[in-house]
Amino acid sequence: MTAAIFNLNHPANTVHWHFFTMSVSNVVVITVMLIVFAVAILAPFPGHRRAKR
Amino acid sequence: MSSVNGKSRSSVNGKTRSWTARARGRAVGALPPEKLLPDSQPAFMSSWIYVFGVLTLTSLIVIIASGSILALKGPGWWHFTGIGHFFNSIHLWAVELFFFFMVIHLWGKYWMAAWRGRRARVWMTGAVAFVVAVPCALTGYVSQQNFDAQWISTQAKDGLNAAGVGSFFNVTNFGQMYSYHVFLLPLAVVAIVTTHILLVRKHGIVPPFELSDRGEPTTREPRLEPELVQDRDPAHAGGPS
Repeated sequence: MTAAIFNLNHPANTVHWHFFTMSVSNVVVITVMLIVFAVAILAPFPGHRRAKR
Repeated sequence: MSSVNGKSRSSVNGKTRSWTARARGRAVGALPPEKLLPDSQPAFMSSWIYVFGVLTLTSLIVIIASGSILALKGPGWWHFTGIGHFFNSIHLWAVELFFFFMVIHLWGKYWMAAWRGRRARVWMTGAVAFVVAVPCALTGYVSQQNFDAQWISTQAKDGLNAAGVGSFFNVTNFGQMYSYHVFLLPLAVVAIVTTHILLVRKHGIVPPFELSDRGEPTTREPRLEPELVQDRDPAHAGGPS
C-alpha cells in the first residue's frame, strides 16, 4: 500500500478555544470554503465585461 | 385508445377524460419545451454562484456512478483491492466536494434572497436537499464494514438515543443503514434535486436586488445595462416568470 502523503497514523489534532473544539482538518475545510465563497462573490465572471458594452 | 367515427371516445365536449392527456397538458403548460431546455438566460446569471450549483450536480452524478460500482462489487472489493480503494476514494471525495459546492451555492442563494418573486418552493427544495443529503452521507460512514464504521455507529447511537430518536432506527445495524444509504436516502435526494431543477426552470433564476431596495436614498441613478433591462422582462424567453 502506498504511504499517505501526510502521516495520518495519529489522533486528529484539534483546535481548542473556550467552548469551541474542532479538528484542524475541519477548521481548514471551513476556512477554505469561506475563502472560496468570498472569491465566488467578488471575482468577475468571464465574459461579463464584454456583455456590458 | 379506441375511437368512434374518427373521434376519441375519451373526449367529451372537447375535454379529454384521459388522465395521460390531462397530465401531459399540465406538464407542458407548466414547463413548455422552451422553458425546460432554454437556449438563453438572463444576463444576471453571469455569477459564480450558479457554477457551484452545477458543480454540485456534477458531484452528485459522480457519487451515484461510483456508489453503484461499489454496490455491485461489495465490501471485500472496496477494502482489499487496489481498484476497490480507488473507487472508494472517488466516492468519498465526490461526497466531500458535493457538500463543499452545495454549501457555497446555498450561502450565495441565501444572501441573494432567492425565495423572492414566488420562488419559495425553489429555495425550500434546495434547503431540504441539503438536509436530506446529510443523513445520506452519514449512513455511508456506518456502512463501510470496518472498525471505523463500528466506532462511528456506537458513538452515533449514544447521541441519537440521547436525542430520543433511537427507537426509529438502529445505526449499529449494517443491513438497515446500508439500505438507507444505497436506496432510500439517495432516492429522496435525487427526487428533491430533480424537483429543484424543474422549479428553477419554471420560475427562472432570481433577479438581483434593485438599488432602491436598499432602503437608503441613492445619490445616482441605477446604471442598468440595456441587456439587463431586457432580460428582466418576464416575457423574455427563458427568463424569470
